[in-house]
Amino acid sequence: MNDKPEKFIDNNGLRLDGRKADQIRDIKIEVGVLSRADGSCYLEMGNNKVIAAVYGPREVHPRHQQKSTKAIVRYKYNMASFSVEDRKRPGPDRRSIEVSKVSREALEDMIFTEYFPKSAIDIFVEILQADAGTRTAALNAASVALADAGIPMRGLVSACAVGKVDETLVVDLNKDEDNYGQADMPIAMTPDGKITLLQMDGNFTLEQFKQGLEMAQEGCRQVYEFQRKALLDYYAKKEETEEVAVIEEVLQEEAPEEVVEESIAEEMEEIEEDEAEEVKAAEAESDQEIEEDSSETYETSDTVEEEATETEEPEDEDEEKEEDESTIDESDDEREVSQ
Amino acid sequence: MNQEIVSIIQKDYLYNLMLKGERLDGRGFEETREIKIETGVIDKAEGSARVELGDTKIIAGVKIQPGTPFPDSPDKGVIITSLELIPLASPEFESGPPRENAVELARVVDRGVRESGAIDLSKLCIREGEKVWMVFIDVHVLDAGGNIMDAAALGAIAALLTAKIPGARYGEGEDIPLPIRDIPISVTAVDIAGGIVFDPSLEEERAANCKLTVITNQESAISGMQKSGNGSLTTDQINHIVEVAAKKAQEIREKFLEI
Amino acid sequence: MDKRIVIPGDFLSDDVKKAGEGTFIREGKVYANLYGLVNEKNKIRVVPISGKYFPSAGDLIIATVSEITYSNWIMDIKSPYEGLLHISEYPRRIESDEMMKYLNVGDSVLVMVKEVSPSMKIELTMRDSRLKPITNGRLIEVTPSKVPRIIGRGGSMISMLKNATKCNIFVGQNGVIWITGKEKGVNKAIETIHLIDTQAHTNGLTERISKFLKGNETSEVDHKSPDILNELLD
Repeated sequence: MNDKPEKFIDNNGLRLDGRKADQIRDIKIEVGVLSRADGSCYLEMGNNKVIAAVYGPREVHPRHQQKSTKAIVRYKYNMASFSVEDRKRPGPDRRSIEVSKVSREALEDMIFTEYFPKSAIDIFVEILQADAGTRTAALNAASVALADAGIPMRGLVSACAVGKVDETLVVDLNKDEDNYGQADMPIAMTPDGKITLLQMDGNFTLEQFKQGLEMAQEGCRQVYEFQRKALLDYYAKKEETEEVAVIEEVLQEEAPEEVVEESIAEEMEEIEEDEAEEVKAAEAESDQEIEEDSSETYETSDTVEEEATETEEPEDEDEEKEEDESTIDESDDEREVSQ
Repeated sequence: MNQEIVSIIQKDYLYNLMLKGERLDGRGFEETREIKIETGVIDKAEGSARVELGDTKIIAGVKIQPGTPFPDSPDKGVIITSLELIPLASPEFESGPPRENAVELARVVDRGVRESGAIDLSKLCIREGEKVWMVFIDVHVLDAGGNIMDAAALGAIAALLTAKIPGARYGEGEDIPLPIRDIPISVTAVDIAGGIVFDPSLEEERAANCKLTVITNQESAISGMQKSGNGSLTTDQINHIVEVAAKKAQEIREKFLEI
Repeated sequence: MDKRIVIPGDFLSDDVKKAGEGTFIREGKVYANLYGLVNEKNKIRVVPISGKYFPSAGDLIIATVSEITYSNWIMDIKSPYEGLLHISEYPRRIESDEMMKYLNVGDSVLVMVKEVSPSMKIELTMRDSRLKPITNGRLIEVTPSKVPRIIGRGGSMISMLKNATKCNIFVGQNGVIWITGKEKGVNKAIETIHLIDTQAHTNGLTERISKFLKGNETSEVDHKSPDILNELLD
């Protein structure tokens, strides 16, 4: 095990990894990395490596969890066995369950869930490599994945932690600072500065808390810029792709000469004409709908919303049993290792 | 259930292509999709690999820690393989403890590593009867795009090949590379409308009658096999698959030696 | 026309009256609620790059049977919600135990959305001469928000495709597209449609597509003049 470093801040005010007190770790974001998910994001924040996937809106399973007036939002945070120094047993533990809950609560109000009654928006984040601040990294990835999935939101959520080492407030703690530091406070924030996640453990004076909160908010702002840029860049990248060249070749070949059966052709033509009208009608209709939509007003997080009595994670009863069951690891046929 | 419905039209189209000797993505019957392997991707793990096989993406991590040996093999290290089909990877995967598909995948990957003798377990003994090295192989499926088995097995052996025993951290000498003496490679084929195609894509898996995985070692001897799915295979089909699997495994193994 | 990409929360306008789809209003200002392209033609709309299909009454779509109950076929309509085709909405009178014979699990059909109830019960119907089971050809899927682009204003883009590839193409509102024709033409149509799907937001796409399709037509008469093509959506 590592020994505690003597000093966390050197004489130049720099931290163990060379950062300044108010400096967040390097961030790398890739959008749309998974083929099966509706939206996805791979994100690195310092040595944290996380991947987020969004599925939805989609049907709710099990049925009884659906809500008649809006979509339910489910968030599952999970750490891979190999993500930490001492191998973690597969499956959710109590910490993951708590992180999942507060993370969901950080995002849910930003999503226009009322657009999708009786459906579910599922967010899964997998921590592939952990170096403190995994829950904030996870939320950052989840926000981007939600945007990638086309989920309507009021804005992206950005997250960052602040802590205290050697009585100095530092932003975005790494593992050592988190382990041996005196306080850790992760927050998540909307683009207009409202806090949607706040947890704290350790020791802060009132003054340290206020200042720390400001530092964390500034950290979140910086994260937001990375998230925004990643999404804009991803779209721009889609423009010039190799596909265009391939299609050019394909279309330049001669079209086949045979004509398709006439009866189908006729039917299709009829459908065509109707379609054209459809499109026109749809455009007219949507103009009307828009009238209605535009009367929607922004809801702050303290307005109407449901309650703390909602059922939370975990979604499966099975998960609660997880802690006692040993998950099925592989060894020789008859043997199971009890850890 | 979140099972996706395959339309009959799509299935018919696939079948018709098969009869003409073609596959949906234009590959030859024995052709595998593009393989990308990157090792050393997870610092905290003693060994790790990210594998992309077509759209399928997995990460395998190897963690090595000291532990107690099994009573009937006091001088041998322990291999434990697990695999998770996390819901992140597919709309069809559900949360919860591993179900039969995940268990089957993990056990077959384990079989390949174990039966090929890739890891000499007797070299993992620290103190006989008391302390041995436990090798945990954890495969996380990130994107389920067909033929998870081959991708998982590839990831496992790639991670093992680049793994180090963390002697220093546990006060058991220096860090040394995990001694690997064979490279098992898994090759899977499916039967669609009587035709055998290798490295099935997602659609091919769905339309398939059944599946056969063959794991071969450096000598092209068979270390593990698994027939999966309801349908049946003829002896000829099986022999054909085994022959081609050994050949393809060797090709992939050569690609490995490039790492 | 300049295309601007926005993310949820981006400011769009001070003019609340112009708020269209994909936007929301807060304190008298209009913001984007989607990740996509801003379209400022009449109202300000944000067209998402990806998103699901949400049915409206009157939509013509392609659905696949996923389950059969006593009196309903439950259909996958490529939406978060499943569609229900009641036995009485089949073009002929059939008995409950015959349902499987006419439409079995896995069969695809051209249907119309009859009604969408507030509780998101989607009722479908086949009672229309245009609607029928699909028994041949190919089915492909595109992002539903691209459907207008693929059809084109007044059907111009789709006509162009059909002429050049000699295929019949039906575009369901839910993003499922049915193509029939000779194999070569069908393959070409599919590749072109995928191109439109991935490139729909770019400038110059229309010109690119039309140029190649036109250059492609040797002995065929070009049904549309270049001017009309240039007027295609956005």
